[in-house]
Amino acid sequence: MAQHTLEVIVENSPGVLARVAGLFSRRAYNIERLSVGPTDNPETSKMDIVVNLEGHALEQVIAQLDKLINVIAIKEIVPNSAQPIVHDTQPDYQN
Amino acid sequence: MSQMNGASSLVASLEAAGVDVMFGIPGGAILPAYDPIFSSSIRHILVRHEQGAGHAATGYAQVTGRVGVCIATSGPGATNLVTPLADAAMDSVPVVAITGQVPSVAIGTDAFQEADIRGITMPFAKHNYLITDPADIPRAIAEAFHIASTGRPGPVLVDIAKDALQKMTEFAYPTSVSLKGYKPKLAPDAQSITDAADLITQSSKPVFYVGGGVIKADASRELMELAQLLGAPVVTTLMARGAFPDSHPLNLGMPGMHGTVAAVTALQKADLLITLGARFDDRVTGKLSTFAVNAKVIHADVDPAEIGKNRFADVAVLGDLKHSIAALIPALKFALAKNRPDLTAWLRQVNSLKATYPLGYAMPTDGSLAPQYVIERLGKISGPETIFAAGVGQHQMWASQFVSYENPRTWLNSGGLGTMGYAVPAAMGAKVGAPDTTVWAIDGDGCFQMTNQELTTCALNNIPIKVAIINNESLGMVRQWQTLFYEGRYSNTSLESKRIPNFPMLAEAMGCVGLSCERPEDVDATIEKAMNINDQPVVVDFRVARDAMVWPLVAAGASNDDIMIARETAPDWDSQEL
Repeated sequence: MAQHTLEVIVENSPGVLARVAGLFSRRAYNIERLSVGPTDNPETSKMDIVVNLEGHALEQVIAQLDKLINVIAIKEIVPNSAQPIVHDTQPDYQN
Repeated sequence: MSQMNGASSLVASLEAAGVDVMFGIPGGAILPAYDPIFSSSIRHILVRHEQGAGHAATGYAQVTGRVGVCIATSGPGATNLVTPLADAAMDSVPVVAITGQVPSVAIGTDAFQEADIRGITMPFAKHNYLITDPADIPRAIAEAFHIASTGRPGPVLVDIAKDALQKMTEFAYPTSVSLKGYKPKLAPDAQSITDAADLITQSSKPVFYVGGGVIKADASRELMELAQLLGAPVVTTLMARGAFPDSHPLNLGMPGMHGTVAAVTALQKADLLITLGARFDDRVTGKLSTFAVNAKVIHADVDPAEIGKNRFADVAVLGDLKHSIAALIPALKFALAKNRPDLTAWLRQVNSLKATYPLGYAMPTDGSLAPQYVIERLGKISGPETIFAAGVGQHQMWASQFVSYENPRTWLNSGGLGTMGYAVPAAMGAKVGAPDTTVWAIDGDGCFQMTNQELTTCALNNIPIKVAIINNESLGMVRQWQTLFYEGRYSNTSLESKRIPNFPMLAEAMGCVGLSCERPEDVDATIEKAMNINDQPVVVDFRVARDAMVWPLVAAGASNDDIMIARETAPDWDSQEL
């Protein structure tokens, strides 16, 4: 299985990391690697999440992540590709 | 803008959000809020247990389509809300819960009555807040109502530290809510509608697989038009009973573990599932790998994460169901004009199943009461406008099977979480939301003993619900499984007695009228007597036969192809043309 990196822009508010980590835990998805850092905008943070998932399971992770109210945007960074796949949370992947 | 403390700002915000009633219990941390509640226009109903407040908010929301509101203090008050909030999440019910929290300086110190309710509800709440600054209260309340009621509805919790309620603040309720990470999609993409219409015209065995989303989206009228346009059979899941009238000839009834043979088999043999606001729950699909193996799937839902979660969707229609179905009607008309599939043979097949295997039950030969008969008579006598709320177990399945539901928002139950004790408090909330409508709770004797304390609330607050206890002195559904799968070893499912507790006396003690009935010939007169009492809650103890079982049955984890109509009895497939 190929590793996929998700670049997730989240609101910089307390509890967001717990929401993301809890989602992975309760839906039984494994996180390979996770890092959190600031962005140019002090109101947002960026999470890089590396998962070992493909196809359908990966789509589910993205769809479920996108349901978190504090998640603003998700990009999938494909290895060997300059152009990331943008999972635009607005409006298609929103609930 | 005006100066007030956080508590007044909270109550002013709830008023601005349009709240007319809330269910709750005060306590230390939420106490500041109860002072302005005392003089507010909002009706506060003092329940006897916070779980009752949560389910009442759910019942209110299910009946009115508005957001239900419950309120509790920190610690145990908040944790008692966990079950109803999890319940509301599983059944997509719009509920806002307000909880007091210990003062912000005490958070994290294991203070008296401290519980991290935001953390506790994080796994299932649609969203939640911990507010420590009174300036954040109006925005949090506005967002909570927006999030709870839009998109796929769900519970939102707002936890407010006591000092935030006490400090002075400026009150200004936001005129609009804009959330960067939350923009529910209303209108479906035009292409998805065209694709869905095309797929329907290529199908010769389509079924409308209708879920609770149709009721949440108030799309019953649109569904009726769509179903009649195509003339295909309809199945309504446990959460969708009433979304499409049971009396309609196209309605095959409920699918799933205790579904009708016609509904279960129609899904299995279909070549297309037109899935509207349903989620391929395990109780519907049975063993997923054997579910509707020859069917293509159109999946219309407001929640993108449901598309393809359990079953691949050939066409996904993402959007609010009212919009989606409304858009599908003209598209399908256009497509059918070019190519109208002949569904005659398919309808003949499913109607043959419907005629051959209607829901039924045997009357006990010893003169005791059949629980199904009681429930059937309740439905017939009280009529199609009546609202029914059920607990969880055998009585719930019979209430779904043997009452004919003709209207949306007339059937309330805990479908997803399966919460025993749901019926009485949910009926209470339903009656508050629809005071001029008859509300019956159909409850089991096991369920009733979990939450009956809210009958006191009903008696004291002029909420005259009616409760039918289907008293089989057992945890009946578990007992049925023990009969079928554990060789009749009835470990801890006997409640021992139809007389202890004495339910009519218990009802009387709580200010209700208590009745009882144990002979078939007394059923109608007892129900009519209960129907004529409208100034007090009524509890009827129907003492029924213990060994009645719910049929049909697809065993847990089994294929829907192995549906049983009675013990060790499968339908006679050889006689059916399928």
